[in-house]
Amino acid sequence: MPQSTRWGRFRESEAASGLAMISPTAIYATLLLAAPLVTIFLYSFWTDGYLTIIREFTLDNYITAWSNPAFRAVMLRSLFVSLAVTATTVILAFPVAYFVSFFVEPSKKSLWLFLITIPFWTSYLIRIFLWKVILGYNGVINSSLLSMGIISEPIQSINYSVGAVITALAHAYAPFAILPIFVALEKIDRSLLEAGRDLGESPVMTFIRVTLPLSMAGVISSVLIVFIPTIGDYVTPLLLGGPEGRMVANLIDLNFKKLDNYPMGSAIAISAMAIVVAISLLFLFVNRRFLKGAK
Amino acid sequence: MTFSAEKATMIEFKDVHKYYGDYHALRGITATIKAGEFFSLLGPSGCGKTTLLRTIAGFEGISSGAVMIDGKNMAGVPANKRPTNMVFQSYAIFPHLTVEQNVGFGLRKDPRPQAEKDKAVAEALEMVNLKGFGKRAAHALSGGQRQRVALARALILKPKVLLLDEPLSALDKKMREQMQMELIKLQRQVGITFILVTHDQEEALVMSDRIAVMFDGEIAQLADPETLYRKPASRRVADFIGTMNFLPAQIKSEAGGKVEIEAHGFGQLTLDADQVSGANAEGASIGFRPETLTILFDGQTAADRESMGTVEEVVYYGDMTYYDVRLDGTDAPMRLSMRNIPGRPVLDIKERARVAWSPSAMVLFR
Ligand SMILES: Nc1ncnc2c1ncn2[C@@H]1O[C@H](COP(=O)(O)OP(=O)(O)OP(=O)(O)O)[C@@H](O)[C@H]1O
Ligand SMILES: [Mg+2]
Repeated sequence: MPQSTRWGRFRESEAASGLAMISPTAIYATLLLAAPLVTIFLYSFWTDGYLTIIREFTLDNYITAWSNPAFRAVMLRSLFVSLAVTATTVILAFPVAYFVSFFVEPSKKSLWLFLITIPFWTSYLIRIFLWKVILGYNGVINSSLLSMGIISEPIQSINYSVGAVITALAHAYAPFAILPIFVALEKIDRSLLEAGRDLGESPVMTFIRVTLPLSMAGVISSVLIVFIPTIGDYVTPLLLGGPEGRMVANLIDLNFKKLDNYPMGSAIAISAMAIVVAISLLFLFVNRRFLKGAK
Repeated sequence: MTFSAEKATMIEFKDVHKYYGDYHALRGITATIKAGEFFSLLGPSGCGKTTLLRTIAGFEGISSGAVMIDGKNMAGVPANKRPTNMVFQSYAIFPHLTVEQNVGFGLRKDPRPQAEKDKAVAEALEMVNLKGFGKRAAHALSGGQRQRVALARALILKPKVLLLDEPLSALDKKMREQMQMELIKLQRQVGITFILVTHDQEEALVMSDRIAVMFDGEIAQLADPETLYRKPASRRVADFIGTMNFLPAQIKSEAGGKVEIEAHGFGQLTLDADQVSGANAEGASIGFRPETLTILFDGQTAADRESMGTVEEVVYYGDMTYYDVRLDGTDAPMRLSMRNIPGRPVLDIKERARVAWSPSAMVLFR
């Protein structure tokens, strides 16, 4: 009987059919994600010769990257920007998700979610250019403030700055932050909130003691969903950041293209990734009590 | 009624109406619930039991009338300020807290030192037979255990009134019967007014001091279980509580506390005036419970009246046998029940049977 062999049993098992089902995706992910990642990882330990790559193991790239004040400044700025974006986005997303979940009629909820995703209908680039129109030197804000006589010359700080990058990114990631929180809030059994009231707590205390802890899984997802991609964002800082708003992705790009130093670029990329992973894991660890235990 | 000394009024509904938009969910509820009473709201699905219970808890406003708790009008008093606690149908156990934290949830503002509160939590858990479960995660509990946690969580706050919305409906039959007994004992022990919502008439009869039977947002009858069973106020109530046989009847005369009727299949009968009950939309009829009819076996004689009939259906229940017997001269079979005592035969379909009955066990719906 084929079933009696280990392979036969495996082929019959649920695990096998599960693997078969995800294998196209898995192969795709391996080829297009893992393979480049491994390549970059290898590059980061090699050295840039003038025309060739010297394939000898070295940690020099990492040492340079981490001791270089320019890299450190850019990395810290990236962290600052993505933390600021994350905080802004999640804090603003929570009330929106709360409103849709608790105050919108059930029959209108999908309409609201649909409206929330509307910004995605225009391309990311177009949205950034629109922000340029709004925040620019002669942009909507400056010219209206000028014409109202509130300022006498255009405000430079909203144009080509870290602030502009944060504004645009927070806007771009808002739906990503709203949806997981909304889902978490939707899952809360409403009788739990009544139980909170019944046991003597005011609406505010019920929110703090019941709603908030029960929605934390969604908040945590939102934080990671916004934090991880924004730290590596490339286009927004390039177009809105100006020289003072450059982020780590722009630095990597500089090394790969202008400086033609693949190993250095790779080392910076791997370092940035390690930092993101470390921060995310730390964040998950700190919040682990909200993630355990299903209903 | 366990606390005869303690008959103060705890809850009073004064002509309570409730509209959901156009829908008239509560239609003039007027009733009084006494302190220390085990009171049930019984009725079919959608009759407004939960709505009425929630007006006491403060989760539902009322459109007109008044709800008084312990002499105070509750208008404008939010749920967290009312002297009531609720055991929810879904139990509403906080999934992010342990059993202990759930039970102690309402003690945050309690001025006692933490050690005393912990002791109170432990005692509450012991009272509901959950000693040693304190550190468990709430989601690692069975249905019956959740229900006990919900009870402990409410009772630890020593409310004046405990509200229970179908607390046993999610449990299996054995567990439900056990919990019914435990709830009765618990209620006697703590002496708090319990108000139970249920659509299970047996549960209401078993547990309550008094029962309000509700139909369509109105109280059809408010009485103790025995009155409810013996003398239902209307045919609808009679139909809802237990089984009752009905036969059409005509009222011939009423005089001197006696009612003369002509009942289909039974002929001329004389009933006492207090056997006459409320309305029946389908015209006058007499009703009687299955256990008021008895099949007579060899050598037995009827205490009152006796008729012949034919067995049409036999349902054997172990301790009881239910028969559908059609009495000679009637066109519908009647349900009767016999205890299966040793030596008593079980009749077969189509067998002839002598049936003993008594006019004094009948109710006349006019
Ligand atoms: N929020 C609401 N909006 C509109 N109608 C409602 C609302 N809540 C209840 N109703 C209606 O009011 C009526 C009474 O509802 P209620 O929940 O009190 O019934 P119930 O007697 O508890 O029934 P069940 O045994 O099914 O729980 C029902 O017809 C219901 O559809
Ligand atoms: Mg209900």
